[in-house]
Amino acid sequence: MDFSIRAAKPEDSKDISRMIMELAVYEKMPDQVKISHKELEQDGFGANPFYHCVIAEVPEKQKSKDGHTTVGYALFFYTYRTWKGRTIYMEDLYVMPEFRGKGIGKALMSTVARIGQEQQCACLQLSVLDWNRPSLDFYLAKGAQDLTATEGWHFLRFDGDAMEKLAQEAP
Amino acid sequence: MDFTIRAATLEDCKDISRMIMELAEYEKLSDRVKVTQRDLEQDGFSKNPFFHGIIAEVPEKHKSKEGHTKVGYSLYFYTYSSWKGRAVYMEDLYVMPEFRGKGIGKALMSKVAQLGLAAGCNQLDFTVLDWNKPSLDFYLSQGCLDITANIGYHCMRCEGDALERLAQGDT
Repeated sequence: MDFSIRAAKPEDSKDISRMIMELAVYEKMPDQVKISHKELEQDGFGANPFYHCVIAEVPEKQKSKDGHTTVGYALFFYTYRTWKGRTIYMEDLYVMPEFRGKGIGKALMSTVARIGQEQQCACLQLSVLDWNRPSLDFYLAKGAQDLTATEGWHFLRFDGDAMEKLAQEAP
Repeated sequence: MDFTIRAATLEDCKDISRMIMELAEYEKLSDRVKVTQRDLEQDGFSKNPFFHGIIAEVPEKHKSKEGHTKVGYSLYFYTYSSWKGRAVYMEDLYVMPEFRGKGIGKALMSKVAQLGLAAGCNQLDFTVLDWNKPSLDFYLSQGCLDITANIGYHCMRCEGDALERLAQGDT
């Protein structure tokens, strides 16, 4: 199957938003999606973007059952490790189910890795749900290490009221 | 004890570098620190910084046994959740042992939350090692959630040869 990978543009925000919801449904947490394509457009395509995105497209003749030619995406941003320096974090990687098994996911991830290298990033980081065996296997096969399993790292989060409450105690 | 929290400047990089090494020693991983004072200056204080820093300072009369007045720091940067939007990630939080128990760590973390909220963020994320009971207990007592324990997110990383092969599309 023909496909191409390119940088996302503001006009892609609706398709990215659609696919974010599809990924959330797959991760069994669709009620957790709170932002719309408007926030995505604002936050990803202004003067100081909070994230970057690459899109996978297929030609019109191979469009999806629902008529989409934008069939996958990877959303990423730059982070920092005080021990190793610049890193690239892949927040989302998604390919529509009917387009899987054709190398699109791998091409998206390789593109993010290459972009990271161009920006002198020492590593690519991401997170995956422990029950998501297909994705875990995919990433482990690409040479990723599971730092939670091997070193004991846990993600912690303050959100909503907890974050407000914490902020109110700042000097 | 008197202390103040303020934004880090270029001149603070020497002390930040010292405290990064102290934190790495506490985490039993000091041989992993590759970032130098110069890297911090370049990556944190250029036009598009990879991170931001805040410093905790005490007056001269309360300086440490070795004569330091910069006794704690936090490094953070902005990230993105495709579900919730803008977020802030606290990469490091550290207070020198002889200055602990005086509210400095809490003040630093609160400041990061405050700065994050001001930037339109609705999540403050960070990681902690599962054996680090004092830190885990401190964070949980402040109202945060353990996303790894509760939902099952694992931190994954690709670096070195694995990252090279991924970038070349060779996996």
